[in-house]
Amino acid sequence: MTEISLNSETSTRNRLSQWLFNPFMFVAGLPALSAGLAIILISGFFCWLGSTHFDGVLDVHTGLAAQWWIFPAEGLIDWILLAIPLFFFGLIISKSSFRLIDVFGTQALARWPYLITAVVMLPSANLKVGNFVFARLAQTTPVVAVNLADIFIFAVAMLLGILMAVWMVVLMYRAYSVSCNVKGTKAIATFIIALIGTEIISKVIILPLINRVI
Amino acid sequence: MKILPTTCPACNEQLKVKSLICENCSTEIQGSYDLPPLGQLSIDDQLFLLDFIKTSGSLKDMAGILKLSYPTVRNRLDEIIERIKLTGNAGKNNMEKNL
Repeated sequence: MTEISLNSETSTRNRLSQWLFNPFMFVAGLPALSAGLAIILISGFFCWLGSTHFDGVLDVHTGLAAQWWIFPAEGLIDWILLAIPLFFFGLIISKSSFRLIDVFGTQALARWPYLITAVVMLPSANLKVGNFVFARLAQTTPVVAVNLADIFIFAVAMLLGILMAVWMVVLMYRAYSVSCNVKGTKAIATFIIALIGTEIISKVIILPLINRVI
Repeated sequence: MKILPTTCPACNEQLKVKSLICENCSTEIQGSYDLPPLGQLSIDDQLFLLDFIKTSGSLKDMAGILKLSYPTVRNRLDEIIERIKLTGNAGKNNMEKNL
């Protein structure tokens, strides 16, 4: 009896861990694409509220107000730009046949930790402390004063932001691995190349877009 | 129904058939025979293939039954195909020799 309940507990824990770090075992294709697109759009809404920009595949910056549509557009650009090279790398290194909708769907869903980041970045304390630190680094007089609560909120937001970024990268790799059936050194190497390349390209595309609209 | 073991519980090597018996006349044949290629797969893989055949080879239906995503099921099938290619080639050659 004890053994059975222990096994069941382990199995529940495994399943929870799979849902957290490899949900693509259970969700892919159209459901993943629909959920992923919804998450990107909702994240865009929160980003608009907090003036938070995902101005690169992994980048998060705050404090620059812009037109509302810029924010979801950034998320969509980040998603498409990474999914395209991963699809082509999959075609090159995978021995299996795979579907385009699985690659794009799982990559969209893999961006869900950034929904949490968008919410975490909402408090104005983040912007205040950010501006304060920037002013100190630039050796100018800070415009606003910050208190201990602001610093605490900022520290929590930074910590969570880093954790969410790491989690998202793990999910992006898992999404690539499951949807294209690739594993090992080749899979990791091509993923890193795609991620770095896309990070650069996304900056090149998104920054001029923001500058043109503001 | 007893489950036919395919690998040795002590060293995990592939098991062979040593004896076959006719339940009607009790004739017993002894020798050393390879299991057929599909019989060499693990029970999990054999059950997976049975489900695959029952769903007329529909990976979408399989994904629904197993509550897994389509690519996960397809990847599992690809792994089994690889195993059959590795273990099955020798068995197929033996079968062709005997025909």
